Amino acid sequence: MGPAVTLVKDSLPAAREPRPVAADARRRPGRRRENLAGYLFMSPWIAGFLLLTAGPMVASLYFAFTDYNLFNTPKWVGFDNFTRMFDDPRWQKSVEVTAKYVVIGTPLKLLLALGVALLLAQSRRGQAFYRAAFYAPSLIGASVSVGFVWRSLFSDGAVVDRTQSFFGWHVGGWVGNADWVLYCLVALTVWQFGAPMVIFLAGLKQVPRELYEAAEMDGAGPLRRFWNITLPMISPVLFFNVLLETIHSFQIFGSAYVVSNTQCGPADATLVYTCYLYQQGFKNAQMGFAAAMAWMLLLAVALVTAVLFWSQKKWVHYEEGAR
Amino acid sequence: MGTSRNVERRTILKAAGASAAALGLAATAGCGGGSGSGDGTVTIRYSWWGAEERAKKINQTIALFEKKYPKIKVKTDFQTYASFWEKFQTQAAGGNPPDVFQNAVTFLRKYDKRGILLDLKSQVQAGNLSLDHFRAGVTKVGQVDGKQLGVPVGSNTMALVIDKKVFAKAGVEPHEGWTWDDYFKALKTIHDKTKVAGDTGYFAIMYLYDLYLRQNGKAFYTADGLGFDKADLTEWWTDGYNRVKAGLVTDPKVVQQDAPKSSLSAGHGASEFTWDNFTVRYTAEGSSTYGLAPIPTMDGKHTGQYLASLMLSASARTAHPKEVAQFIDFMVHDPEVGKIMGYDRGILASTEQYTAYKPTDPVNKEIAQYEDDTAKAGVLGTITPHPSGADTIEAAFLRIGGDLGQGKTKVADAVKQFFTESEAAFQA
Repeated sequence: MGPAVTLVKDSLPAAREPRPVAADARRRPGRRRENLAGYLFMSPWIAGFLLLTAGPMVASLYFAFTDYNLFNTPKWVGFDNFTRMFDDPRWQKSVEVTAKYVVIGTPLKLLLALGVALLLAQSRRGQAFYRAAFYAPSLIGASVSVGFVWRSLFSDGAVVDRTQSFFGWHVGGWVGNADWVLYCLVALTVWQFGAPMVIFLAGLKQVPRELYEAAEMDGAGPLRRFWNITLPMISPVLFFNVLLETIHSFQIFGSAYVVSNTQCGPADATLVYTCYLYQQGFKNAQMGFAAAMAWMLLLAVALVTAVLFWSQKKWVHYEEGAR
Repeated sequence: MGTSRNVERRTILKAAGASAAALGLAATAGCGGGSGSGDGTVTIRYSWWGAEERAKKINQTIALFEKKYPKIKVKTDFQTYASFWEKFQTQAAGGNPPDVFQNAVTFLRKYDKRGILLDLKSQVQAGNLSLDHFRAGVTKVGQVDGKQLGVPVGSNTMALVIDKKVFAKAGVEPHEGWTWDDYFKALKTIHDKTKVAGDTGYFAIMYLYDLYLRQNGKAFYTADGLGFDKADLTEWWTDGYNRVKAGLVTDPKVVQQDAPKSSLSAGHGASEFTWDNFTVRYTAEGSSTYGLAPIPTMDGKHTGQYLASLMLSASARTAHPKEVAQFIDFMVHDPEVGKIMGYDRGILASTEQYTAYKPTDPVNKEIAQYEDDTAKAGVLGTITPHPSGADTIEAAFLRIGGDLGQGKTKVADAVKQFFTESEAAFQA
């Protein structure tokens, strides 16, 4: 047993039982060998982490401060790549597009997830089927084929366009329209509300029934019960979902790349941050700049995460003792 | 519990050992595999860009090659043009480019500068590859600073590919020596009579603007930079944008949604400036009949056209230069290969293939006729340089020009953006 496991055990209230002190002491001589076994067992993962994640990260941090076109020996340029970003109109555009996507898409997705979770939390016939059905898009939504389906759904003369036109609202397909195409991506992410929905469902199940009963006795209506009981009780779950989905949204790439037919257009309307990073790195061979962009993204996501963590004091409610 | 834990541990250790061994094996297999094998058979990788139509033909020619050279196996893959070069760049940077690949003039200097391309002269001297029997002058396109970096498979020229049915319906007849004024008038007639836009977006095509500049005594590139200034481009793009607004040129929103199909073959435009051999593709893709028309001129004579070419190039890192040279030699000289490929990659470059293939279908016949007419008209000039970075600039020109048509950026901003990106591309 490594220390990491003990830690997790400690944090779980259910696992809090008195530790068998005597047994612990008896095992101690074999402990180092056991650790070794543990590390060996993890070795494929550790090797993968070092070779495929940690190594490239260190390299990318170095490249971020160099002029590197994939072929030359990287030339140290200090903070040039970073200062260049702020003068680059396409970089600014990519930040704008990504921010718009995160700010519009994430709340919509979470609202829908919470709404459906509330509906599905009540016992009713076919509940398991509905849960599975609503969850399914989360499983396939990130795939390239769904991107293609989306592209054809939202093209000129396709289903969405015709339905819209029927109601006298003709835009001629969202995919080619710089004003509309981002909402096509937003729709795609919102459609995948299944994952946060499942987490909300789990959270809703944890709310003690007696709170509702007591509130009902006091004459609280459904809205009031939601606002004063459900929402505070599931706020840790809500926080978790907000955090996860926000971080996830910042990294959007696949859907933008496929729906725009690899161009991240038209008129840079779907030029999300990672898409521009990809273009600079792999199309224009500006790998130093692309690496710097990647670290900038990491910083931005870290900052947003920090703000979210700071904000939880104001709105996330933890049960006494469970914290 | 004590004993059972020990058993567990042993199992764990074994499992860990096994997985470590498996990883090690996988690593050896992955790196040490190489492309040779015991009986002297070698495998070479051949990549190209194109569509399904071309893939079918190429696979047939490879079957012929493998029959003649049973000791050489050819592994292939293909993508669309843009994806091909993205992948190629990454592979080349990782020291693992395909042994032999399709190439074009915009990429020669870029990859020569980076030491990726094999100078095929040594293989010519060794007798594995022949540069004889080529149609006049085409091998020059593959030469850079005295090195032979590519061998042409076909030569092509920029042309105006037209939707014949729409042109006929509008009563427009393109003719040799017509001027830009005639051409733009024709677009208007087409739009007025058929409601179809006359052109799919001429102003964002680098190769066409090159011709226009050549007609005016300039060129898109000098040896190390752009051959025009901001005022030139501002004029070109302003006119282009106004024609989009007037409906003469296909709305870029539509072009965007037709992709990867061309708006010409999708029926959303009546003509498109592109390489003459593209009629093969458009005929396969679209439902109308497509033909070729002359490039409009300033003075009724000079079109600015030149003979360009698709080539086969080899990687400087290939472990099998001899086999690669034999492969290229077979692909450019074998008459049977010529018969299979037709004019898919341009008019066949070697005389063996050129004489072996007699086009029977109207599309290939028209391409042959077009190249003949162009040559006879005496308008073909020499190709102007394409410095390193030309490929990135071509893509930027297309993207920024297309975006401009969306009306989201001002012409002045678009021009400024293009010049900034070009500068970065030359330096990269």
